[in-house]
Amino acid sequence: MKEMTGSNEYKLNQGPEDGISAAKFSPSTAQFLLVSSWDCTVRLYDVGGNTMRMKYQHTAPVLDCAFYDPTHCWSGGLDSQLKTHDLNTDQDTIVGAHDAPIRCVEYCPEVNVMVTGSWDKSVRLWDPRTPCNAGTFTQPDKVYTLSVAGDRLIVGTAGRRVLVWDLRNMGYVQQRRESSLKYQTRCIRAFPNKQGYVLSSIEGRVAVEYLDPSQEVQKKKYAFKCHRLKEDGIEHVYPVNAISFHSIHNTFATGGSDGFVNIWDPFNKKRLCQFHRYPTSIASLAFSNDGTMLAIASSYMYEKGDISHPEDAIFIRQVTDAETKPKST
Amino acid sequence: MGRKKKKQMKPWCWYCNRDFDDEKILIQHQKAKHFKCHICHKKLYTGPGLAIHCMQVHKETIDSVPNAIPGRTDIELEIYGMEGIPEKDMQERRRTLEQKSQESQKKKNQDDSDDDDDDDEAGPSTQHVAAVQPQPGYVTPMTQPGMPPVAGAPGIPPAGYQGMPPMMPGVPPMMHGMPPAMPGMPPAMMPMGGMMPPMMPGMPAIPPGGCSACWRCVAAPVQNRHLLCFSAQAQQNVPGAAASSTVASSDPPKVTFPAYTQPSVSSSSSTSSSNPSSSTVAKPPATVTSKPATLTTTSATSKLIHPDEDISLEEMKAQLPRYQRLIPRPGQAHAAAPQVAAVGSIMPPQQGLPPQQPGMRHPLHGQYGAPPQGMPGYMPGGMPPYGQGPPMVPPYQGGPPMGMRPPVMSPAGRY
Repeated sequence: MKEMTGSNEYKLNQGPEDGISAAKFSPSTAQFLLVSSWDCTVRLYDVGGNTMRMKYQHTAPVLDCAFYDPTHCWSGGLDSQLKTHDLNTDQDTIVGAHDAPIRCVEYCPEVNVMVTGSWDKSVRLWDPRTPCNAGTFTQPDKVYTLSVAGDRLIVGTAGRRVLVWDLRNMGYVQQRRESSLKYQTRCIRAFPNKQGYVLSSIEGRVAVEYLDPSQEVQKKKYAFKCHRLKEDGIEHVYPVNAISFHSIHNTFATGGSDGFVNIWDPFNKKRLCQFHRYPTSIASLAFSNDGTMLAIASSYMYEKGDISHPEDAIFIRQVTDAETKPKST
Repeated sequence: MGRKKKKQMKPWCWYCNRDFDDEKILIQHQKAKHFKCHICHKKLYTGPGLAIHCMQVHKETIDSVPNAIPGRTDIELEIYGMEGIPEKDMQERRRTLEQKSQESQKKKNQDDSDDDDDDDEAGPSTQHVAAVQPQPGYVTPMTQPGMPPVAGAPGIPPAGYQGMPPMMPGVPPMMHGMPPAMPGMPPAMMPMGGMMPPMMPGMPAIPPGGCSACWRCVAAPVQNRHLLCFSAQAQQNVPGAAASSTVASSDPPKVTFPAYTQPSVSSSSSTSSSNPSSSTVAKPPATVTSKPATLTTTSATSKLIHPDEDISLEEMKAQLPRYQRLIPRPGQAHAAAPQVAAVGSIMPPQQGLPPQQPGMRHPLHGQYGAPPQGMPGYMPGGMPPYGQGPPMVPPYQGGPPMGMRPPVMSPAGRY
């Protein structure tokens, strides 16, 4: 049943039938993985047994999903509807909607609120218990990515804007920034230690930024090029679509449209590891909560238009400390 | 020093006679003190490298190595770390050391520790030097311990090269100067060339013929925008080194990359809200300045693997007919796709909405409070008003001429 691409890596069975938009591990166990797809489904996988446990539908492609807790997941997509699904009863509930497709769905444990970001230029908060809407907050442009750092929310929008919000006080924007990268923001992920965030762009570049606005801390910010391939004398520069942090080591993995996954140590500014090339673009990455597994969604993202492409698939890889732990010099 | 003499004794700098614990630290010192361009602060790898850089980039000649003691200022001597030091100077040094160690060991210890302290770039930079070990297969590695040197090698001292042979056949020799390795380097040089802040379209004849060829061909297509981009980037990519921190600190915390922030962001947001639908058009007024709605990153040496429009990949994919079909029509929610005109005949009303609706919607939602109250199968709270018609009309009236049928539908009826 398992297709072994390596002794430490295998492809998930019964994968989605179209592109994969997001893959997220359960907050409490490395056993379960939630996957949202352009085939309008959200699927729950038992990663250990490599089986699909559950599947539910939206009416249009789903762009993001997230666990609220180990038994409830939330999802949203092109149908602009925000759904929550009870994984025990296999029941859906439509919680609310945006005015345009929902691009991001995240949970903030510290404030116990679900956060969604949409192309309607708003971020909406939702109380997961009722569940119901807890506010709509306008952003300067379409929301492309967001990430939670403690009780703060970092939003990346079109036009390279970055906003930092205090989820306990959404009356005003805490910080307005511009991405330090010159190209469209692709993904933002906050450090587990909440000190800052990593931002990637469509132009093969990643920036490491800090939240503390003081000058001495801001001096530490930096950016580096990555996910670029030299082919026939031309440098092919690929979007960096996915970032995921290792919860324990504070190192992070990036996945690009070049099909490569790199693991970086942001404090020593080194690359720790690069895996083999995957069949197609990396659309999403997720470390499990214990840092032992990495889910890699290899899914063509239409960078070159509507052409035929390798099959979209999710690979589960066991990662080692050697690959993810900073090396002490 | 009281130590046994090593094969080459403790590493020392030929230009200023200082001692170092480690050749890596010595090299960092040389790059910072002797091979640093006084105009742009770029750190080169050798004296001749610096000379050539100043000539090509700034059109200025230098005749002596900065911060060198008299007699050791020869700019043409190819010295890197401990390599290239003339034999007679080595012998002289050995003799001096022997004398010193015989005369007063303690005094020498003191001097040495002072010297080490002076080299304040040793610490952070050394890390980055070592950091290069896991070499990427790309021409441009992830970290750039120093800025890409003129010589064009991906900026890494010998330590990091062990893993690089496939990419950089000529690298090790390159470290010691350009001429020897140039011919083999051009392909690898090109992307690096793109990173040189000021490009040199017409280069004076310099020994590495291959080098100049590269630079010329890189220079031509590279636009101003790229220069700005790369120069700022080059500044950024000196992590930890003193130079970069000074650059960063000179700017206000929020805006650390002057080149990046030239765009006036406010204009982009206002224009983008009015016509996201025209994003597929070549260059609409919505300019995110450096990157307008279309991306122009193809140059002779680099190509961005991304559609031309500056909208996200998901938005692009959502415009495909097979997904457009699935997107609910206006009333409940808006399709994200700005440009549906060409696509589905099923979707007429929706086309006009995206640009205006978001702005329209929010106030309406405010009126209705939190419309969704967890009712399964609900219609978004904004439904009733849209069903009535009036709220729908304004966007069409004032909106861009969509050429579409007026919103005759009753959105509620859609479901």
